[in-house]
Amino acid sequence: MSLNDILRPMNLPAWIISLPLLAAVVAVVLPRTGRWVSIFIAIITPLVVFKLCIEILVHGALQMQVGGWQAPLGIQMYADGLSAAMLAMTAIVISCSTFYARSYFSAKAASPFFWPLWMFLWAALNALFLSGDIFNLYVTLELLGLSAVALVALSQTADALSAAMRYLLVSLTGSLSYLMGVALLYAANGTLSIKMLATVGPASPSLPAAFALMAAGLIMKSALFPMHFWLPPAHANAPAPVSAVLSALVVKASFYILVRLWLMIFEPFINPSTAQLIGMLGAFAVIWGSVQALLAKRLKLLVAYSTVAQIGYLFLFFPLSSTPQTAHTAWQGGLYFVFSHACAKAAIFLAAGTVIYAFGHDRINKLHGIVRRMPVSMFAFALAGVSLIGLPPSGGFIAKWLYLNAALASGQWWWSGLIILGGLLATAYIFRFFSRAFSYFPEVVEGRPVPKIMEWTALALALCAIFLGLTAPAVTELLNAGKPF
Amino acid sequence: MNIPLLYELVGVILLGMGLYSLVVYSHPVRKILALNVSGAGVFLFLVAAADRTSGPLPDPVPHAMVLTGIVVAVSATALALALACRIHQVSGTAPLTDNEPE
Amino acid sequence: MENSLNYAAIAFDGVLALVLLVLAWQLLRSPNLFKAIVLFISFGLMLSLAWIRLKAIDIALAEAAIGAGLTGALFLTALDRLQRREENDREEQDARWKSQEKKPIITTEASDQGLAAMIRKNKNHFFSRPLQTIAAISVLALTCILGWTVWTLPPFSDQMSALVSSNMPISGVENPVTAVLLNFRGYDTLLEIGVLLLAAVGVISVAPSAVMRTGSSPSPILLLLIRLLLPFIILVSGYILWIGKYAPGGAFQAGAVLAAGGILLATAAVRFNLSASKAMPLATGIGLLIFLLVALATMIICGNYLQYPVALAGTLILVIEAAATLSIAAVLVRLFVGVKSDTDNPAPGEDSQTLIFEEENTIK
Repeated sequence: MSLNDILRPMNLPAWIISLPLLAAVVAVVLPRTGRWVSIFIAIITPLVVFKLCIEILVHGALQMQVGGWQAPLGIQMYADGLSAAMLAMTAIVISCSTFYARSYFSAKAASPFFWPLWMFLWAALNALFLSGDIFNLYVTLELLGLSAVALVALSQTADALSAAMRYLLVSLTGSLSYLMGVALLYAANGTLSIKMLATVGPASPSLPAAFALMAAGLIMKSALFPMHFWLPPAHANAPAPVSAVLSALVVKASFYILVRLWLMIFEPFINPSTAQLIGMLGAFAVIWGSVQALLAKRLKLLVAYSTVAQIGYLFLFFPLSSTPQTAHTAWQGGLYFVFSHACAKAAIFLAAGTVIYAFGHDRINKLHGIVRRMPVSMFAFALAGVSLIGLPPSGGFIAKWLYLNAALASGQWWWSGLIILGGLLATAYIFRFFSRAFSYFPEVVEGRPVPKIMEWTALALALCAIFLGLTAPAVTELLNAGKPF
Repeated sequence: MNIPLLYELVGVILLGMGLYSLVVYSHPVRKILALNVSGAGVFLFLVAAADRTSGPLPDPVPHAMVLTGIVVAVSATALALALACRIHQVSGTAPLTDNEPE
Repeated sequence: MENSLNYAAIAFDGVLALVLLVLAWQLLRSPNLFKAIVLFISFGLMLSLAWIRLKAIDIALAEAAIGAGLTGALFLTALDRLQRREENDREEQDARWKSQEKKPIITTEASDQGLAAMIRKNKNHFFSRPLQTIAAISVLALTCILGWTVWTLPPFSDQMSALVSSNMPISGVENPVTAVLLNFRGYDTLLEIGVLLLAAVGVISVAPSAVMRTGSSPSPILLLLIRLLLPFIILVSGYILWIGKYAPGGAFQAGAVLAAGGILLATAAVRFNLSASKAMPLATGIGLLIFLLVALATMIICGNYLQYPVALAGTLILVIEAAATLSIAAVLVRLFVGVKSDTDNPAPGEDSQTLIFEEENTIK
């Protein structure tokens, strides 16, 4: 029973889910061990995830039946290139944020609860990306939502608690709507497996209704305009590593599910104007989020509204993929947005957290010249900003370029105008903070010293965002494994 | 109209009623009550659908789904209520007004 | 005879459906929150009847215990906390309640601290009248569309129940719901126990202390009741856990009954301090821990995640269920205490660390 045997490809998905879950239980049962158990898992799990990525690159998509029961009786786990890429993104962001959190929380009393919640969040994300069963997805969504809410509430301020309450109510409503969709699908088709539902027959009236319910629920959880109102307070008031993970990963999880369901089950049966409608909402999100970011007085609020804007880009995937020749390009573009935004936004939130740690506040007009105090963090902010704006050679640029290609090739030129406008607005709000931070000011703002690890993890993530742009071929290679096109 | 269909429709109506109350009322406890009622509606639909088998025994998979759902609902309700109480304690109100930090 | 039985059944179901709808309507619209919660508990009990009519006995058990019972208790304690004044004076509050019986309804609502301003402006509605009607119309439309979709659903496929029946002999149990819950779709249950544990951690992190204080010593009637009931509760819980293999029952129902015993204890104690108990973290976590260890063991030793060897299936399921029962009970009690507990240390987050794990559980 060698290590190779234990880490057989078939077992990798189970390990990826079980490791953080085990850490969470241990952190609950033995609270004083929470910190170092989480660090340990934060080192080991990415290794397992990378092994899975290599496995999928070489051998293609992986499918496993939990408990050995064949679908439709049992639950299927499905790992293709997309899942692997999401898992890798999750592993990188959470790993960096874990090291960041270790230093960030050393002075705070909230830490006994932070680690179990953190590990539950990671386990939920992993379980979500590997699931091939619509009801299992519901359970993972609930696990994800509840841990995210509890993490937001950890700040214990009145604003954070209200934001957490609002987030919880929206999250629960979304899950309920999704569950009703699951119920309809099961009642009509007798199976919960996504692969089996993919072969579902002619359109019965239940399909559009089920899609509407599931999409509504997932859109609420992804904070697409006009269901975005819960996101800025929640992400702005959560502790910094939590904000990073929320913006980078949690909102993407429901988007991932929507894309999966769309591509595998629903697309042939849904009216194409629905896709245009979703795209319109995305457009509003980009504009509204960017404008609000321009007006925000606090740095974290600015970044949170930037998330609202960037999520709008994600949903442009739906209209842009409506024509067969552009579908693949749009898909790659959307996913590139997911990955580069995850790294960039996490980096920015971590940097913002460093600012708060050092200066005690994040009011933008009081943060003059802080580049002299924390050059590493500001450099991280700059690199991440480059990706958010979409300048080469970052991942954000690749994503926008792919989208522009898709827009022009499918004759939907109006989306390209939006993408360019969004880039300009992003430049504006990024530079709004930038100019202050890099300005020359005779008196340097006083602040306390920041642990090096906090600054360097932010920089590492920002470098990932740039790196994604440089290694585009490798990433696309991974995404191609088991692709739906 | 057979028995399962009746309960399925009742479930859908409950879902709608809960959704309306969730949106219209502002007190958090009412919202949480509304969510529980909606949840009950979804579960009713699922179990009623399970009874539509042609044999005497219902399909056990929706039963397992609803059991899971009930447990998840009580967990979520507890967290929501704890949050509401804490908010009340910290700020003297139990609101969801727009406290946008500015 | 056959016909009249049929008519009786239809009549019963019709009345039950109507009762459910009316109860829901009343509870959602009632201006008095206490009344709403009591109606909610009765709604839960009526729902249990509906589950029985739909041949879902396991769910009926769980609904009565968890859905109506525990959820209702959570709501009542939360309401109590939300409506309590700083002075914490029960008599004064009782007098206030009594005098408010005669006042118009809106004043009762206004006694909810902090909501007073909002409510005086706007009753208890979030939107103004016109927006309310728009909301009502849209929800009505959505419900009708959904209702029509349900009406036109294709006939239900028997494939799944046939698959379950044919695989029952190797599942290790004889109750099909338990088989699905702990064997065929055991992975869902694993995650769900994770959700429970997560909720417990979340509630603990939000509630600054886990100390419950009754203002006075508990009434002797309550103490007598506990002395009589508690052993019986433990017995019943064990029985439900055991019988889950053959008949409706199982870990969730057993855990809920056990939790009821725990909550009784909590309400009867003069000072019930859970945060210091060394056993509590282990008790809450043991279910998920055992389940995970079994899952990983089956993966490492037998080859597939959560694939029980057929000979051991029944035993493994029982072990998992036993651990889960303990965990579920511990978590549900913790959730209740977390929502109920009053704090003497109002500073947010400040003493959470010291409050966790210093204990004495005193029952006089």
